[in-house]
Amino acid sequence: MTVDILSSIKGAKPSESVNKLFDVIKNANKNTALNTVHTNAVTIDDLREDVVIDSPQMEKQIIIANFPKEKNGYLVVSKVIEE
Amino acid sequence: MMESQIHKIHQQLVNKEISCTKLVQERLDLLKLNTHNTVNSLLDTLALASAAKVDAKIESGQEIGLLEGIPFGIKDVYMVQGTYTTASSDLLKKYKSPYTATAIQKLFAAGAIPLVKENCDSFGHGSSSENTIFGAVKNANNPNLVGGGSSGGSAVNVAKDYTVFSIGGDTGGSVRQPAGYNNVYGFKPTYGRISRFGLMAYASSTDCVGPIAKSIEDIRIVLNAMSGKDIKDQTTYPSETISAATISNTDAIKTVGYFKNFIENDAIDAKVKSDFLATIEKIKAKGIQVKELDFFASDTLVATYYTLAMAETASNLSRLDGTNYGNRIEGASLKDTYSITRSENFSEETKRRVVGGNQVLSQGFSDEIYLKGLSVRDQIAANFEKDFHQVDIILSPVTPSSPPKIGDSLKDPLAMYLSDAYTVGFSLGQLPTLTVPQGTETGLQITAAKNNDALVLKFANFLKDTI
Repeated sequence: MTVDILSSIKGAKPSESVNKLFDVIKNANKNTALNTVHTNAVTIDDLREDVVIDSPQMEKQIIIANFPKEKNGYLVVSKVIEE
Repeated sequence: MMESQIHKIHQQLVNKEISCTKLVQERLDLLKLNTHNTVNSLLDTLALASAAKVDAKIESGQEIGLLEGIPFGIKDVYMVQGTYTTASSDLLKKYKSPYTATAIQKLFAAGAIPLVKENCDSFGHGSSSENTIFGAVKNANNPNLVGGGSSGGSAVNVAKDYTVFSIGGDTGGSVRQPAGYNNVYGFKPTYGRISRFGLMAYASSTDCVGPIAKSIEDIRIVLNAMSGKDIKDQTTYPSETISAATISNTDAIKTVGYFKNFIENDAIDAKVKSDFLATIEKIKAKGIQVKELDFFASDTLVATYYTLAMAETASNLSRLDGTNYGNRIEGASLKDTYSITRSENFSEETKRRVVGGNQVLSQGFSDEIYLKGLSVRDQIAANFEKDFHQVDIILSPVTPSSPPKIGDSLKDPLAMYLSDAYTVGFSLGQLPTLTVPQGTETGLQITAAKNNDALVLKFANFLKDTI
């Protein structure tokens, strides 16, 4: 897929400036001995409880007010991807 | 604590030298009339109602907390329930926050009064606060120059005394660089010290909430108020309150390091270089051992940061398709609606970063760019770990040169990316780094090992008395 489709941006093309940055990474020395465990993710020992928390009324009202499309009192979301 | 604005105003309120309503109204007026384009929206109704409550409390003889009644600003990427949160973008121009960010909620709980949602680069995408629908932020000292970015409006508001402190967001330098450009303090704490819940995500693995203020003491107070574990952000960790006493005793610092290659290169302005080296000499004269350290080349740091940040922002911003919120523009089909909505409503810089992110994440490219970027990041982190066995503090300039003229950065995105050379490395390392308005024209960065935020503030106190 091309970047305009991946990004959902009409006519988008890769930028020359950004490609220059990527070239630096491509050419960077790779330390092959490195097998670090990525520590930027969340540990699974300390996850929050998997419970549903009801939002306050005010929060719900604002979420509805932000919704772009409404029909017969319902909020319109996409049915399915069409193709 | 003479220089602390918070202590000073607190005393004035307690002594009834000024009413909170008058204080808030004065600052609101300054913000409203200011010509630096720092304001996206004023929170005047909320601010004045809160001020009236503080006045009533003082009037009835009750004690007030240190932050109670202190007016502050909020970068317009933080959720504050019921207020516009635009991220300085067309897409979210009319978007209202359904809830309040944890960091901001904690300041509200301490009684601080929000005045303003502050101008910034759209979604934090920029180093100059020119990528915004509200007009380029103008530097506090010279309005022909940029305010820095992405938290430009926040830094200018503090520098001009429109707010007592402001809350910026720092992903690759967005608090530290504008603080440097406007000669105020700006702190990026250790990643995870302050909850990111309710901060619009740019690059989640380096996004940090950061206070901007005019003194180390005010940074300390605001940092303490916002820190702590939050179940709504699983990357947060519990931390201890940093006391004023802890950071006033500066004896503990024995060794300071700096990256030789940051200073010995062609990109750094001659004056920044000589000023930095003069600072190093003053530190040596105080009996502190100074070590030159080896580090990755600036272009490697910048490329690694932008590769990862673009990948993360492409993913984070994919939700902005006009379905649940935002300025939806209808097209012939659903996919068409998505792409028109995004094309018309994102800034050029945001599009550049989203496209770049999708490039590196796409099949066939991810191995040689994205995964390699992750690996270089690990090497950078390992390098920091090694360094902090040798030194207590790493000192660095904030930027290679002085703030550019308004308009220049937009013409040359690559130059703008490269100007982040000194800030992005510490972000990738998730380290605590403070900009102090001393040492060079755009200040100095003080960095310590992870979770050693107190040591950073301690060294800042030492520098204040040394240079």
